[in-house]
Amino acid sequence: MEIFDSLERCLQSKAVDQANLVQLRGQKRAMIVCTVKNGIVEQFAHVSLSGIGIRVFVDNKSWGFSSANRIDSDSIELSLKNAVKLAKASSKLKKQKIILQPTKKSIADVSTRVKKPLQDLSVEEIAKIPLEAYEGTKEAESKVADSEATFISIEDNKYFLNSEGSRIHQNLTRVMLFVNVLAKSNSLLCPASENLGYAGGLELFDKDSPYSLGKKVAEKAVKLLDAKAPPSGKFRVVIHPTLCATLLHEAIGHPLEADLAMAGGGFGNQMGEKVSSELVTIYDDGQVQGGLGYFPYDDEGVESKRTYLIKNGVLKSFMHDKTSAALSGVSPTGNAHAWDYSVEPLIRQTNIGIEAGDYSLEEMIEDVKEGLFLEGTFGGQADVNADFTFGFQSAKWIRSGELTEELRGANVAGNAIEVFKTIDAVNKEVVLRPGACGKFQFAVQGRVVPAIRCEIMVGGMGGT
Amino acid sequence: MGLEKDWISLGNMVHKAIKMLEKSNVTLAEAFFTSTRTIEVTIRNSEIFTQNMVDDSGVGFRAVAPRNKVGFACTNTLNEKAILETGEKASDIAKVSSETPNFALPEASKPLKVKGLYDPKIKEVTIEEAVDIAKREITAAEDFDKRVIAKDGRVVFQSGWRGVINTLGVDFGEQETKAVIYLGGSGKQNGEVTGSCSDFMFTRTADLNPEKVGKNVAEMVIALFNPKPLKSFEGTAIFGPEAVSYQIFNTLVDALKGENVIARRSAWTQKTGEMVASENLTITDNAILEKGFDSRSFDDEGCSSQNTTLVKKGKLESFLHNAASANALKSSNTGNASRFSGGLDMTSSIIGNGYRAKPEIYPSNLIIQPGNETKEELAKETAKGILIESMAGFPQAGSGMISAQLSRAFFIQNGEIQYPIKSGMVSGIAFDWLKTISGTGKDSKQFMNAVVPSLRVEEVKVIGA
Repeated sequence: MEIFDSLERCLQSKAVDQANLVQLRGQKRAMIVCTVKNGIVEQFAHVSLSGIGIRVFVDNKSWGFSSANRIDSDSIELSLKNAVKLAKASSKLKKQKIILQPTKKSIADVSTRVKKPLQDLSVEEIAKIPLEAYEGTKEAESKVADSEATFISIEDNKYFLNSEGSRIHQNLTRVMLFVNVLAKSNSLLCPASENLGYAGGLELFDKDSPYSLGKKVAEKAVKLLDAKAPPSGKFRVVIHPTLCATLLHEAIGHPLEADLAMAGGGFGNQMGEKVSSELVTIYDDGQVQGGLGYFPYDDEGVESKRTYLIKNGVLKSFMHDKTSAALSGVSPTGNAHAWDYSVEPLIRQTNIGIEAGDYSLEEMIEDVKEGLFLEGTFGGQADVNADFTFGFQSAKWIRSGELTEELRGANVAGNAIEVFKTIDAVNKEVVLRPGACGKFQFAVQGRVVPAIRCEIMVGGMGGT
Repeated sequence: MGLEKDWISLGNMVHKAIKMLEKSNVTLAEAFFTSTRTIEVTIRNSEIFTQNMVDDSGVGFRAVAPRNKVGFACTNTLNEKAILETGEKASDIAKVSSETPNFALPEASKPLKVKGLYDPKIKEVTIEEAVDIAKREITAAEDFDKRVIAKDGRVVFQSGWRGVINTLGVDFGEQETKAVIYLGGSGKQNGEVTGSCSDFMFTRTADLNPEKVGKNVAEMVIALFNPKPLKSFEGTAIFGPEAVSYQIFNTLVDALKGENVIARRSAWTQKTGEMVASENLTITDNAILEKGFDSRSFDDEGCSSQNTTLVKKGKLESFLHNAASANALKSSNTGNASRFSGGLDMTSSIIGNGYRAKPEIYPSNLIIQPGNETKEELAKETAKGILIESMAGFPQAGSGMISAQLSRAFFIQNGEIQYPIKSGMVSGIAFDWLKTISGTGKDSKQFMNAVVPSLRVEEVKVIGA
């Protein structure tokens, strides 16, 4: 733990005395990426990174952050001095004093639970994972124009020290498999994709093998070639967990992040008020085992826990870092996360979830006279006012309470707060989904989601 | 001068590693390496949020085993042992990779030195100056109109070096600087909150105009007050430069990438010489544009830069290539290998860019030839239509399908831009839109990898709320 020692020495530096708080982070990251395109190992990469990121808070007003890819004591001390200088540069301009709540001192050494370690595999065996997914896609080969399977593993050793006496080591392992298939018939192209992602080891594939994932995605893409284009307009829809994950993250999750909420976002000053259908309870939880957003501690050394954001439709809390918590007079919620050592922590979701409801999927569909069942996601984006857009991969018409014709994908849009008021059924089963986010910097996250029923605007090109 | 020292010692170690690989059982080897210092000031909610300084140096190796099997490994650990080991790692991985028959690296050439890529003033910028620029951005926006809130923004100064070496004799290095100022704002009036509007400058020099950026954002925000709902219709749409630079740019890149043509994923596969767009559309990729934000003397695998005509008056002339795709399609290499492609996919987001990534095919400065008309003139003959300054939603890869939310759009009636639109979507196939382009604006704007004007498109389907 040579990084710990170097960081610890840095805390003895005189520059520390000029700051209200110093947060020192060190990281070693090893990633393996193997992409198989149409049966060929198109990319096989080994990425090895290390560095430090130092954040200081001065004059009860201003943060500064400095990072370098050197982990020797001299470089760390230089970065600390730079961070202080950077923080001082704007403190004079700031009128508002911020009194940060002391962080509970933590001495911890935590690891992801790994049943089947990646280290047991040779490079050949790693390449076999996406190759096996490709074999699966071949089941529907004749119309598959293009297939791509990517296996990624990330092993992080993160070291955190602060001037309040915390010393935290986290060893976090994540594995992921992404499969994208493009089916083609004449000039019609139909994409489909599915991701697996997990904080843990290769036991990820015990339930869904790479082969079965490849097969499932390819069959889906090929099936869509015979599907009609979806309609346009406002519909009553049942949203599958794959798409609900995106809706939850983009449309509701972002406006519940305190920095975005403070920017005059959709949930602005409505704490304690009813903001959603009473069937909706939403939380964020960095301790969900296996979730891609499993982070026992955040990057300010705050232990993560389950935070209820909306309970039975009532707004209970935002997701906070130390700064937003101080500004709001509450405690931080463990949501300060940085993608790696080279960037400062921001307020991010970890594993955001919707609690299960009482409805079976059949019951949810039965009550719909004319509507759509939307499935799969192509990602999306949301604005601070809770306006959102994102893509679904496929749909089905619901007519007189029954699933009928298969439809291709398109985008849905709307205002999340409006849409969540229309939720009138929540499925009794929830699933853990992998997710990612690109708010100012990248993040891997989890989503714990049921199917929901609501009203939404669909931007398809077909008719009824 | 720590960074310059890092660059020089990194270069020495990388040369040693390439020599080591040359002696081993590899047929080709390449190293791409950079050293950069980035100073960044970020703005959140009307305030300076934080100041960052990041030093980063590292190297990515590609090693090719017999029968064209390629491996990649990278590191940012700056000692000889780690760098030699990373070279070996690339070679080990190569052995278990697949055969890629058409793989190639560029041969040595004499790149033209592109002017205006380095401004010593950027290297000397102090953190206080960067904070001042950020403050001026906020003030310019919020003083213009009290209803405007500067929500988020950035001021970034970057300076550094970029180098490529391969075993075919390529050995190039280039010093460069970049500056970006960005501001996003929204507005509040009687409980109504507008969507966000943003403006920015991407430049190579320290001559920045934060007042202009701030004022532009404020004007955009104010224009969004009192929006009215829209009924669905089909008609003329004028896509502003921002909308063109995002969704339309992405569908163009998708169709133009050589590797997509090989995989038959491009909508323009086998269409060279055919009309793929209206006569009003001419597209070039100009990597030698003076002061261009993504200009460079050589691409990220060491091919000399050039200016390539891609679509000429609607006719498809060329695709974008790197050494391997050019080799596979027996075309000439257009010098479009990029390690900064800013892909939207998970893999490139996770790995990162620069030395952390193998090159992808990507435009340098994709230029759509501008016309002679302002936006107002483009709208003049439109009986009923829409001006879409920006929209949200990714285009679908391959098919070119765009179904996007109108985030900043205005209704056009009787030749005049009337009022902002409350909510709605636009939906269609971008490749069909290209065929009905009836006019191009003179309002070209520099984006990260594009310089594009407004495009007027006929027969676009607009969906009302």
